[in-house]
Amino acid sequence: MIAATHPVSPEEVMALADGELSGAEASSVAAYIAECAECASLAAQLSATSATFAKWTVSEAPARLEEAVRSAADQNAHGRKPGRPAHNASLSIRNWKLWAIGGSGALAGVLILVAFEVSMRYYDDHAVTHHQIAASVQQDSGAENSALPAPPPAAAPARESFADVVGQSDKKVAPAQGLAMPDLAAPSSRAQKSEALEARSTAPPPRIAEPIAPMIAHSVSLTVQVRDRTASRTTLEALLTRHRGYAAQLTVNTAEGSQRSLQGSLRVPDADLAAAIAEMRALGRVETETQSGEEVTQQHADLVARLQNSREAERRLRELLSQHTGRIEDVLQVEEEISRVRGEIEQMEADQKVLEHRVDFATIDLQLTEEYRERLGGQSASVPMQIRNALVAGLRHGASTLLGMLLFLEEALPTALIWLAILAVPGLLLWRRYRRIRAKI
Amino acid sequence: MDETVPAGRITTGDTIPVNEATPEATWQSEPRESDEELMVAFAAGKTDAFTTLFTRYKNPLFGFFRRRVADAAQAEELTQETFIAVLRSAPRYQPSALFRTFLYAIALRILHAHRRKAAFRATFLGERPVDLEPANHSDPVVELIMRDAVGRLDRIDREVLLLREFEKLSYAEIAELLKLPLNTVRSRLFRARTALHDLLGAPAPSRTSNAPATEVRA
Repeated sequence: MIAATHPVSPEEVMALADGELSGAEASSVAAYIAECAECASLAAQLSATSATFAKWTVSEAPARLEEAVRSAADQNAHGRKPGRPAHNASLSIRNWKLWAIGGSGALAGVLILVAFEVSMRYYDDHAVTHHQIAASVQQDSGAENSALPAPPPAAAPARESFADVVGQSDKKVAPAQGLAMPDLAAPSSRAQKSEALEARSTAPPPRIAEPIAPMIAHSVSLTVQVRDRTASRTTLEALLTRHRGYAAQLTVNTAEGSQRSLQGSLRVPDADLAAAIAEMRALGRVETETQSGEEVTQQHADLVARLQNSREAERRLRELLSQHTGRIEDVLQVEEEISRVRGEIEQMEADQKVLEHRVDFATIDLQLTEEYRERLGGQSASVPMQIRNALVAGLRHGASTLLGMLLFLEEALPTALIWLAILAVPGLLLWRRYRRIRAKI
Repeated sequence: MDETVPAGRITTGDTIPVNEATPEATWQSEPRESDEELMVAFAAGKTDAFTTLFTRYKNPLFGFFRRRVADAAQAEELTQETFIAVLRSAPRYQPSALFRTFLYAIALRILHAHRRKAAFRATFLGERPVDLEPANHSDPVVELIMRDAVGRLDRIDREVLLLREFEKLSYAEIAELLKLPLNTVRSRLFRARTALHDLLGAPAPSRTSNAPATEVRA
């Protein structure tokens, strides 16, 4: 029979049987059912189904449930939070699957870390090899273009060569080149090196270039945060006096409402550099430290050679002037030439002194910043200005935060997309499996 | 049947066979405090009130879980967890809601969480769900047949049917618990009963529903 032919729906018949219809509606539906045999049959069938279904009985709650709940109620009555029932065996430590999955995860993590470390080492080695190749190429070309020997490429060969030349194999030799911490015991023999260079420049050029000790101008940049800037300055001055150093430049900032700081360019004897730096580090907490060494051997040798040539030229010009007579124009021209050469010699002597001073005295760019202490009162800026400044600072920080997020997204997005592509298929399969099981339970 | 219907919600038109009488059924003839009054009293500090509520609802609630979870131990654990949740949430109980609705709402939430965890463990840890375990004092054949028939129903249809047939909730209460429109509850219940009738081997009613079951999920 077509449902539409009945004035009441099957759901209404069922609702009447369930007592879910109100008085008037219930009376009307009941009256119709009394007349319609089909609807009465439907109501009877529904009731029979419910009766059959009601045969599904289950046991009573076990007695231990009552004990457990009573115990929880007692805890609750005494103000203690009742605990949750014990978890089932799936989370037990005896569950070997949990251990297996956890162990596999840990192993995978370790493998990823090891792979990352290995790849980074490979990358570093690769980079070092490239640097070495580039350095050797540069060195080869330098040796070809210059009459003087190129600086040794590494510390070990330099030590050996220098020992052979000077005959002081027990002496320490400075590292060859680069940013390594200088060995500060050896380079003090700058005078010997200078003499050797001068002797070398006057002597006939050897057929095989002999390596000489490198001249390195060391410079250190150090930023230290100190608790008390005044006390640190006193200590710093004592330190300079003790090491026979001096301050080439010193700037002190004591502005109100900001960190008090001291910034200076200090010069200390190269031999005392390590000790001086160690004492400066002890002034407070080191924030940044940079060390560098500039190889000036070739520059110095060139300067010495040119100086020697100029002196020789000056000597010959003077001899020419004293031994030969001629026209007054020629004499004036020679004197003018002597004056020019003399000027060059003085300039080169000054350059040589500066260069040697840079080698003899290392440069330390030191910045001492005091821990900032906020003080009550004494606000220099007016309230509106502070509000404006805070607003500007807030906008600046907001903009930098947005920019940082954008940059992070730009940086992380490709990697995230790769991982997404890798994990999408297994994730989708797991999700489908989960949905399938979830529908069954 | 070991359960009783605690709060008198069975109407005169209910033709579903009433469960067997239990000791708790004698309450029906004695003047007694309502569930809501007991819950308010418990929230005010009367622990005896909770004991009474527990006595009234321990078997219905255990039956609620026992019919939905195959493992008896898990059903017991979930029952315990539900009562503990009632203990914890007593200070927040508002008497405007029926205690029975309040209790089964908690039970349904705990049941869903349990099913979610079980599905997760089955998906990712490869655990097999606990095999069907016939309850004591019940016919194992009947239980297996019922579980099998109920398991074939749509999940929401099944829940509507169980809440109506065994928890004796009204259509309005079921709609509130499952967050479904009242008409949807009615049509789904009819569909579930018809399907159950077919599954249990009896001929289907000749009249079929003309109301489409609207798929509204919470």
